Amino acid sequence: MKDQGRTLLQKDGTRTVLASLLSILIGLAVGSVLILIVGLFSDNLGLSGAWEGIRLVFFGILSTGRNATGSLTWGFNPQSIGNMLFRATPLILTGLSVSVAFKTGLFNIGAPGQYLMGTMATLAIALGIPSSALPGPLIWLLAFLGGILAGALWGCIPGLVKALLNINEVLACIMTNWIAANLVTWFFDVNKVFQNTVENTKSGYVYKTAYGRTLVDGAWTYVDGNGVQTAKLGLDKLFPGSQVNAGILIAILIAVGMYILMSKTTLGYQLKACGSNRHAARYAGISDKRNIVLSMAIAGALSGAGASLYYLSGNTEFFWSTYQALPATGFNGIPVALLAANHPIGVIFTGCFMSMLNIVGLQMTNLTAYNEYITDVIISVIVYLSAFSLVIKMLLTSRRRGKRAVASADNTPDAGNVPVEDRGEIQPVSDAAGKGGEQA
Amino acid sequence: MTFLIQQTLLYAVPLLIVALAGVFAERSGIINLALEGIMIFGAFVGVLFVRIMQGTGLFSSAYAVRNWLALQGLELLAMLAAAAMGAAFSLLLSFASVNLKADQTIGGTALNLMAPALVLFLIRMIANQNTLGMADGSDAASWFMLKKSTFGIDRDTDLGFLGETFIHRVYLATYVCLIVFVALSILLYKTKFGLRLRSCGENPQAADSLGINVYKMRYAGTTISGALAGMGGFVYALTTANCASTGDVAGFGFLALAVMIFGNWKPLNIAGAALLFGLFKCIAASYASIDINGDGVCMLATAPISSHLYRMLPYLITLVVLAFTSKKSRAPKAEGIPYDKGQR
Amino acid sequence: MRTMEAENIIEMLHITKKFPGIIANDDITLQLRRGEIHALLGENGAGKSTLMSVLFGLYQPEAGTIRKNGQEVRINNPNDATDLGIGMVHQHFKLIEVFTVLDNIILGAETTRAGFLQKKEARAKVEALSERYGLKVDLDAKVEDITVGMQQRVEILKMLYRDNEILIFDEPTAVLTPKEIDELMATMREFAKEGKSILFISHKLNEIMAVSDRVTVLRKGKYIGTVDTKDTDKQALSNMMVGRPVQLEVTKEPAKPTETVLAVDGLCVPSRNHKKNAVNHVSFRARAGEILCIAGIDGNGQTELIHGLTGLEKSSGGTVTLCGEDISRASIKHRGENMSHIPEDRHKHGLVLDFTLEQNLVLQRFNEKRFQRYGFINQGAVREYAQLLIEQYDVRSGQGPVTTARSMSGGNQQKAIIAREVDREKPLIVAVQPTRGLDVGAIEYIHSQLVAERDKGRAVLLISLELDEVMSLSDRILVMYEGEIVGELDPKQTTVQELGLYMSGAKRMDMNRKEEMGA
Repeated sequence: MKDQGRTLLQKDGTRTVLASLLSILIGLAVGSVLILIVGLFSDNLGLSGAWEGIRLVFFGILSTGRNATGSLTWGFNPQSIGNMLFRATPLILTGLSVSVAFKTGLFNIGAPGQYLMGTMATLAIALGIPSSALPGPLIWLLAFLGGILAGALWGCIPGLVKALLNINEVLACIMTNWIAANLVTWFFDVNKVFQNTVENTKSGYVYKTAYGRTLVDGAWTYVDGNGVQTAKLGLDKLFPGSQVNAGILIAILIAVGMYILMSKTTLGYQLKACGSNRHAARYAGISDKRNIVLSMAIAGALSGAGASLYYLSGNTEFFWSTYQALPATGFNGIPVALLAANHPIGVIFTGCFMSMLNIVGLQMTNLTAYNEYITDVIISVIVYLSAFSLVIKMLLTSRRRGKRAVASADNTPDAGNVPVEDRGEIQPVSDAAGKGGEQA
Repeated sequence: MTFLIQQTLLYAVPLLIVALAGVFAERSGIINLALEGIMIFGAFVGVLFVRIMQGTGLFSSAYAVRNWLALQGLELLAMLAAAAMGAAFSLLLSFASVNLKADQTIGGTALNLMAPALVLFLIRMIANQNTLGMADGSDAASWFMLKKSTFGIDRDTDLGFLGETFIHRVYLATYVCLIVFVALSILLYKTKFGLRLRSCGENPQAADSLGINVYKMRYAGTTISGALAGMGGFVYALTTANCASTGDVAGFGFLALAVMIFGNWKPLNIAGAALLFGLFKCIAASYASIDINGDGVCMLATAPISSHLYRMLPYLITLVVLAFTSKKSRAPKAEGIPYDKGQR
Repeated sequence: MRTMEAENIIEMLHITKKFPGIIANDDITLQLRRGEIHALLGENGAGKSTLMSVLFGLYQPEAGTIRKNGQEVRINNPNDATDLGIGMVHQHFKLIEVFTVLDNIILGAETTRAGFLQKKEARAKVEALSERYGLKVDLDAKVEDITVGMQQRVEILKMLYRDNEILIFDEPTAVLTPKEIDELMATMREFAKEGKSILFISHKLNEIMAVSDRVTVLRKGKYIGTVDTKDTDKQALSNMMVGRPVQLEVTKEPAKPTETVLAVDGLCVPSRNHKKNAVNHVSFRARAGEILCIAGIDGNGQTELIHGLTGLEKSSGGTVTLCGEDISRASIKHRGENMSHIPEDRHKHGLVLDFTLEQNLVLQRFNEKRFQRYGFINQGAVREYAQLLIEQYDVRSGQGPVTTARSMSGGNQQKAIIAREVDREKPLIVAVQPTRGLDVGAIEYIHSQLVAERDKGRAVLLISLELDEVMSLSDRILVMYEGEIVGELDPKQTTVQELGLYMSGAKRMDMNRKEEMGA
């Protein structure tokens, strides 16, 4: 029986997109309600302030500031859009990181740690190699690969303890996150050469990679405009005033690569088999342990790549004393992946959406008495909703399944068995022993 | 020694109470990954409550004459407020996991993202900075700490080791938490409610077949969990962060989860585990403190070991401890699996 | 005391219960008389369990009424059922494994004072009941530590503790030894004599003939009829149950075994549940061209033996030689090169339920040259191969190769696994309870496939818990008891009774001597 009557609305993919759009809408609505409530309670905001806030939440990316009379102005803002693309770069990659782990049945909440380790390796390589020793692009490449490798190694740790000792990867990831935060702080604390002393206005930052390590009067010093940065490829002309560079294109390429890896290759097949039924994969001779480690390594590599691309832009700075805080970019990979239903191509769009929210947050801080944390609230609401958007989709699928079982089966489906959903690891044994027939 | 014990208790008690929060949720069958978020929220609510109360001026006269009964009452009320709001916040998790059968890990993560975002948003709106402390720069110690003077004992009187350790420079909250911990442990093991709650985390189908309302029990477990975590969050902020809320508890909620696993979901073991972790956390936090304590903590600071290593230690040790206990640990069988009445 | 005693204590009239896509119960009527043992007979999927769940308040029917003593009642949940005196021993025991026996019995019906449990009174009551009916249990043992037979006694005590007068037994004999089955039958008769009414759900005709007063037969969700046991026989019941005359004997030529394919010597596999070995120094040979069956009651090490052979579990001693190669330490993948495995649990091991049928059909073979190039899956080749298997083995599904495995019926899921495993054409086929939970049509099909493979010269190692399957399908029987092989029997020479004695450990052979004689 072919499903010829299936309309666009009934298609799985369409439903996923609809569920995500609904989550986004509800998230924005909750944010708006919060803005309204806070606005009404605040003396200096009031209803008009709240209304400005709500408009910014929805359309902040198109905001061009305020005019002479103090009212909000709107229009195409190339700087905002360029920055959105720039900030989307690491988000797409951490989103891919979370989603590839998800496909293997792992919840990679360790993206922040992997991101930090990637940052550390990238900066250490980019700033450590004298710019006279190697050409800039080569240093860039080494730093990029270094970031990927560091992230991959860091991702391996929760993968290994999960595979070998069956420790919950969520807890292991959380712990490795904080260990990474301390390690990175330690590293830059000890290696004082990386600490930016040129721009005295700021303390606690590492040099931008645009600063190159150069021998001046017999001493190694850092000089601006001598270092490593991602090519712009004319994107800066398209979005003047923004930080955008070719990193976004690399991120998109990686996303496409991940799509091919997951859906067209034997490796992707194995990873997905382990993800949806670890026992069956093992039964079939697919090493579940190897694939768990591999999946976390790939996830870590992606997060590390995200960090590399962000900090190799040449004009981003890293606050090194980070032992008390984890990078939000890592955590925001979770909503990016969830909203995209773990589809690598979808991640490109949801990554852009998340970075748009970031820009909106900045606009809120700059233009109103509200602050950027409102967008974090919106993001968390979206994550909350995606926790059960999966469930709602599953319900829809299981309803169709019932019908089809009847339409297609040559024997009546086991009534007791039909409503039983398998949940990977833990599943009720569906039949007791000894159902067969003693009819002789 | 006194300093070490007091400091250890300061960290161990919130861990203890939050780990117990984890037990109540997981024994009912819900993985509460949101402990961290609920703590953050509870800390915020408690601090805000204290601030508001200070703002109303109700307690200024009590503070002026150091009327400790009134001040301790305020502390208890703030704990209660934190617990109530923690419980309310946890309803988001119960609703998603019980009614909507959502993925509990993602649901918990959402709450962990939501709490700091909401709290920081509100702190910025209220205080126009990233920290919400007590009003007018007053500090937690002068308001809430029990000291010799509180009981009218002269500062120079030596109360002996026990007195110096457990009466002088301590918080009532610590002891309230210990009492709550014991009471709830009894509730879990000696009462009808406890028996039924535990059955839901092990085999909800069986519980249902015996007429136990699994949904209600899971709501109950998670709500108690939320209340405890909220309270624990405030106690943490009060005793270790000078009653300030920053939208962060530095992974403490996750450490509590580790304590719970290390303690094998059993209160007595958890108490031991919490003390152990408290000790590490105490070393990590106070290695460099210049307190004149003479109990070895200072030695750690002068030893040629990086301070970063000490800070890393609790997380590192957690990982190692998990590695060693994972084979033996026995989680409630049905935790994390949504219960659907329609399925048998 | 009752003034008006209706003849029927429970009547379920015209019950209809639908699930998405299926009508599990279609206008079914069941009348239970006071003090009788009433059997409910039907194949897997006939709707027996659904009907009982309706009576027990776990499901609400779309249509129909339930009466107790002639009064219409509504049973919305198990509490209502308990209040009406209805108790049930579920097929899968509803026990909390980490609780003690006593805690399990009182759970849901606790005596308390100010909320605190009062276990003393409960203990006295349970002890009295246990004494009276000869249901021996250790009240302080944890359920996970006691035998399955004892767990069932706990379930029965749970009903008695609640003073139930209508007792439902859902497939209660599947997990018991023959001796335990006899004891259970005696207990059931004892209950009936005391005036309790019993509903006995089964698909085992022998037991139904032995213990019941009347039988109600269901087929594919429909009510077929109710007969007095004394007026019927097994063949008639069997025909009612299946709807056509059933040929239960497997037709096959005598085996012509040739060379040894699998040699197992002194194999030990540690247990996950206790300190002892689950498989203890097991040795045997499986030869090409024979169906070797390992019989035994569930939980005597069969699962672990298979896991040890296939590599799912590490063995702690002994050797396994497959086609002349020692594979005791080999990886699962390597073992798979000469071995097909139809696993015990098709949902846990057999299929990736979220994968499509075609993806499942190449679960072990996706890495073969014909299905991939440079790590990229050759989608066309996979599709073609899947279509071939689907046709050849008559695997039916909604959308052919792209159907999600989860959406297929149990019988077709099993057929897909059989197709995959048989088509790999390995010298050894390990089939673990291949017909579990299937209806007669599917069972017949699977049996014929296994015989066909044997005739092609493959060695078939069959694990079965069903005595009839063991007797009719195998060429040679090994009996496993408490992790050891305790007997080797010829199905043509032995009887079910004798097999039962070996299975329950009452009889055993000296296997070392036997082996010498065979060599």
